[in-house]
Amino acid sequence: MATGTVIKYVGRTTDFKGKSLGEIVGSLKNFGVGRIIVRSVFLRYPEPSFMKIVKVQTCPDEERRRVRVGVEKTFRGQKLPNITEIYRTSYKTDYQLIPKREETRLLESINTIGNKADVILPNSIEMPPLMKLFIIKDHEKKGLETSKDFMMPLSYNQSPNRTNKIAKANEQPTIKFTMGLGKPVSPSLYDGIPL
Amino acid sequence: MFSQSSYLKRTIPLFIQTAGAHRKPRWLPVAKSKVYRIPKRPTTSEEERVELLRLHNNYKTQMRAIRRFYHEDMIKEKSTKDSASSEMSQQLEADEWARCFELNEKWNAEISAAREERRKLEIAKLEEYTLARMEAKDKELQIKIKKASEKIREQKELSKTFITPENLDEAIDLAIANPTDYNYAIDMKGMKFEGRDTIISYPKEDKNVAAN
Repeated sequence: MATGTVIKYVGRTTDFKGKSLGEIVGSLKNFGVGRIIVRSVFLRYPEPSFMKIVKVQTCPDEERRRVRVGVEKTFRGQKLPNITEIYRTSYKTDYQLIPKREETRLLESINTIGNKADVILPNSIEMPPLMKLFIIKDHEKKGLETSKDFMMPLSYNQSPNRTNKIAKANEQPTIKFTMGLGKPVSPSLYDGIPL
Repeated sequence: MFSQSSYLKRTIPLFIQTAGAHRKPRWLPVAKSKVYRIPKRPTTSEEERVELLRLHNNYKTQMRAIRRFYHEDMIKEKSTKDSASSEMSQQLEADEWARCFELNEKWNAEISAAREERRKLEIAKLEEYTLARMEAKDKELQIKIKKASEKIREQKELSKTFITPENLDEAIDLAIANPTDYNYAIDMKGMKFEGRDTIISYPKEDKNVAAN
């Protein structure tokens, strides 16, 4: 065979970058316990996200692409209190191993990044104008009192990965959500359009 | 018309087919000629991506709030309805039932009275019709009897002239004495001359008329 053969890959491109967790863990001493890995899609966030391997388990033969790994997860600069298990996503070829010499830098970067705890999300939002009218009419029809501040509760998806705090009963939120389009982040898209 | 490279790089099919058009079944693999055709990945600018993300997040937050509000509203309404139905509305329901029952009774009475009246009328009509029919039948029968009796009388009268063994000889004699000849002749003018041996003779005036 010729040595200079160039392999040309044909197919769709992917956003994934790296190896599957099984590949990484299988080639490390003590199955990489204590080492740090990153999921490359989480690198899109400005805050550091990484995982420290705590426990590695093999899987039955039918699931040979997968591996059961317990990790201490740090997501967007916040360390989760419990150990997270990676199993369903362990086959994804999106994991990268962090070299030992960079580990300390990564661990320290959590402290340098600003404290995210000062962002508090509101727990209520004002009703849209038409809905207000509907509510007034509806209450009149049912004979209820109409005096109301027209605020309705906001709900958020609950996830351990949630980074921003949600305002408790009397807490003052730092951000306010309103009905409507809001202020554009890229005004150049709205050139010549009155907002 | 199209260069091959542009044909390969296209993201949207050039010719949009309708659903009814013939196409490859889903379970067949990629056609040989299309194996190396890789759809171009859509690209969005960072600006646009960020703005769309913001808008979508906004929309989802707003909609979630509205949906939650109405969901809770519905639950509240349902619970109040349920609690009300346990005590208060039972009395209401009973009253409603009684009211409905009374109304139904009233309707039934009305309808039954109307039905009685109608039945009476119908029976009267039927009686009338039957009587008329019977009368007509009777009349018909009377006429028939009358006709029959008349015929009998006629026949009785006729029977006097019948030939019986007693008057057979008499009848034979009479027949011989009075022979009947049924033969006749008709001339060109339609005049009838009875008898086989009748001598044909025209009266004088008649001859003139015939000559004319």
